[in-house]
Amino acid sequence: MRSSTALGWAAAILAPALVSLADLFSNRPSTQLAGFLLLLAVALAAYLGGFAAGLVATLLATFSLDFFFTPPRHELVPTNSDQTAGVALFFAVAILISQLFERRRDVQYQAQAATARANRLQAVTARLAEALTPQQVLDAIVTEGIEAAEARAGAIGLLSPDGETVVIVAARGYERQVFVGWENFPVAGDTPMAAAIRETRPFFFSTSAERDEAFPSIAGLGGASHALAILPLIVEGRAIGGIAFTFPTEVDFDLERRALKTTLAQQAAQALDRVRLYETERALRQRMTFLADASELLGSSLDYESTLAQLARLAVPNMATWCSVDMLGPDGSIQRLAVAHEDPERVAWAERLSVEYPPDPDAPMGVPNVIRTMTAEFVPEISDEVLVEAAQGDQRLLKIVRELGLRSAITVPLVARGRALGALSLIRDETAPHYTELDLDLASELARRAASAVDNAGLYREAERRGDASRALAHVDDGVVLLDEEGAVVSINPAAARILGVDDSKVVGEGAREALPGWALIEENARPEPGQTRGPVMLPLLVDEAERWVSVSEVEFGDGIVYALRDVTEERLLERARSDFVATASHELRTPLAAVLGAVKTLRRKDVTFEPEQREALMEMIDREAERLSGIVGQLLLAGQLDAGRLPVDLDQFDPVEVTRSVVDSAELHLPTGVELRVLAQEELPPVAGDANQLRQVLANLLDNAIKYSPQGGDIELRLDRNGGFARIEVTDRGLGIPRDEHERIFEKFYRLDPALTRGVNGTGLGLYISKELVERMNGRISVRSEPGRGSTFVVEVPLAD
Amino acid sequence: MRPYTARILTADSAKAEASQPSRVRVLVADDEAPIRLLCQVNLAVAGIDVLQAEDGEKALDLARSEAPDLVLLDLMMPRLDGWTVAEALARDERTSGIPIVFLTARATAADRRRAEELGALGYVLKPFDPVRLAPLVAEVVGRCERGEADELQKERPADLWPAELADA
Repeated sequence: MRSSTALGWAAAILAPALVSLADLFSNRPSTQLAGFLLLLAVALAAYLGGFAAGLVATLLATFSLDFFFTPPRHELVPTNSDQTAGVALFFAVAILISQLFERRRDVQYQAQAATARANRLQAVTARLAEALTPQQVLDAIVTEGIEAAEARAGAIGLLSPDGETVVIVAARGYERQVFVGWENFPVAGDTPMAAAIRETRPFFFSTSAERDEAFPSIAGLGGASHALAILPLIVEGRAIGGIAFTFPTEVDFDLERRALKTTLAQQAAQALDRVRLYETERALRQRMTFLADASELLGSSLDYESTLAQLARLAVPNMATWCSVDMLGPDGSIQRLAVAHEDPERVAWAERLSVEYPPDPDAPMGVPNVIRTMTAEFVPEISDEVLVEAAQGDQRLLKIVRELGLRSAITVPLVARGRALGALSLIRDETAPHYTELDLDLASELARRAASAVDNAGLYREAERRGDASRALAHVDDGVVLLDEEGAVVSINPAAARILGVDDSKVVGEGAREALPGWALIEENARPEPGQTRGPVMLPLLVDEAERWVSVSEVEFGDGIVYALRDVTEERLLERARSDFVATASHELRTPLAAVLGAVKTLRRKDVTFEPEQREALMEMIDREAERLSGIVGQLLLAGQLDAGRLPVDLDQFDPVEVTRSVVDSAELHLPTGVELRVLAQEELPPVAGDANQLRQVLANLLDNAIKYSPQGGDIELRLDRNGGFARIEVTDRGLGIPRDEHERIFEKFYRLDPALTRGVNGTGLGLYISKELVERMNGRISVRSEPGRGSTFVVEVPLAD
Repeated sequence: MRPYTARILTADSAKAEASQPSRVRVLVADDEAPIRLLCQVNLAVAGIDVLQAEDGEKALDLARSEAPDLVLLDLMMPRLDGWTVAEALARDERTSGIPIVFLTARATAADRRRAEELGALGYVLKPFDPVRLAPLVAEVVGRCERGEADELQKERPADLWPAELADA
């Protein structure tokens, strides 16, 4: 029932009164005209004041018509029944008019109310459209929404991520104590909002009694509330929460009212969903940006310690209030590498705290546990129990962590190639939202990248170290070949490449058996039996069509096999020369010994009488061959002495010409036929400094060689002259000659030009070695010029005395 | 034993005595004159004629031209070594039947083995007892005449083969 306005009342009284005034100015007023005017007055009053005003105006107009304008005038009682019927008709018409206007007014009012509601709804929609954060959405709903719903109070509850709990996220208009204990409640509970969410349908209770009847468990709650409307917030057919409107009075929830509430709930749900999507998207973008920044940072430097410290700083404040990085030391200890907070003072404080409370590697939770188990710890909601457990009975620590207001924490392990390197911790306090699974994913991804960066830095350092090692290996003479488990060449040093005759840049990565000559032989022979070690083996390899002896040893290690190669071709040649020497020396000794022994045995024959000249020939044989034997033994001894460095050098001054002549003289005593000696000496050659006996020995050797290697005979020439500070003695024969590539080696110990003696030249292979050693001991030098078939010239130079 | 005057046989004198087929003739091939002399003296005492060659080529020539009953062959000789001579003798059907006894200062197992493989009937190592030479020659020539060359080679009697030698 709407009250009439003052204007309506004024019209109701004044309009009939004004018409009545016509009585004062007219003696015979027209009853019809007055009736018409009075009806207009009633209509005016009803229009302005509604039915009540119309009724008042009707009564007044009826009185006015009867009293002033119906004869007998100024009397209330009509003169005849016609007049009475006229007044009654008038009254009926007036009432009808009033009612008509009342109806019209009502329709108009309803139209206005609908418009107002539409406007309020529009206002809600507009506010919701502007809202960008969940808080803004909630604010819009609990202010504009409550107003639009014509409610006294309202509240919004949202379903928790696990779908088990309803959390009241916004409320307005209620007394504070209403929600005490009802900040969140289970979806399964016996409450209207839980039921609305569960059943995704609205509940409308016109009175408190109605509500209490439906939900007896909460009877009496909510104080002076009367009507209640509770609707689910539905997105894509699924309830994400509920909204409650509480009305100050009993409300008849007609279709229109219900529709309004439903629309409000829909709008709220959509807006919440939209901002949630927006928030999610924004958070994702923020995370992606953070991850991108972090990745760039991690890739920027190999100094992982400073990189991780920067990473921790990058994580605050958006990702975390606190961010710390702890690393596992080689000894199993845990070192705090970095801690970051917006406030440097807090960082300093935290660093002091971590010194005071060093991490216990066996702690059941936190960083040590994460590192030990390589599993992330995620505490979306840090309860006081968690803090108590973390403090492990330390009251002071408990107080500190309680004051920090820690809300949510993530600790993820830094794991690379199955090894824990450390842990990354993100902690938010009450100023920041809880961590979600998304944050855990982000932290895990971040940890993965950080660990990989740390590992890469380590690998790089290792590679650098290996680079150092390979640089070192480049300078050793021993060959080193590293194969992986599949038998592919991982690395090969220049010495190994040289020994094997391969290009070291081309064989890396190739299978050793394919790329390296003779490798199958090496693997077969160098490989030890399982569980055994073995020393180097000597193997002949065919390298560039030449036999090369290689000593190979093989060592297996974790990731492959390393082979050490040594080219022992030289040693083997020397060894062969030594064994040839033994054979030669044996032969050289046996031959004169056979002659001496044979001659003696022959001479002692009792069954034969020899003629004197035969005896003499045998005796001479004994004499000469014994001398020869003695000479060979002497050479062997001399070589041994030279080897041991025990040969004394008697440095003195002497005339080289005289020494040369004495050697020639004694050689001429048993010169083979067809050989002639000539000495060409420069006059006035100054004395030389040296050991005359040793020079004599050298020249005798050279002369002996010249004779031996001239099987066809020919001239042998000794030429003496001066060459700078040296006296030069050249011994030239016209004999067999020496191939050019043998010129160096003939001076080596045990070396014989002709080990098989097929050229008919005997000798121990020590003569030139001894000569060279003796000459060099006199600070002189010896060399050869020769061509096969053209003879040889040996040149000895001995320093002059001054 | 009657005293015996040794005669030195040269290739020419050997030819002159070729009319006496009963005499055993041995070719001594060695570049060392003292060894040749010792063989000559001690074989002659036993009535064995000795042909001498101071290198491998001469030894081959003489073996072909004179068909001696046995060759005492040195290994290390100028021009052709003993191995080559032995191989050439074995290849030539005129000389392949001539028994070979090496007389050498090479005292390695490998050399001994090679001598066996070449079909030698003896490997006498220097220094040797020249007095024992004539009985050895008589034994080898005798067995070969009786067609026992193969058996003799297989038997390897101790006086013809040295005990096992070491490798160099």
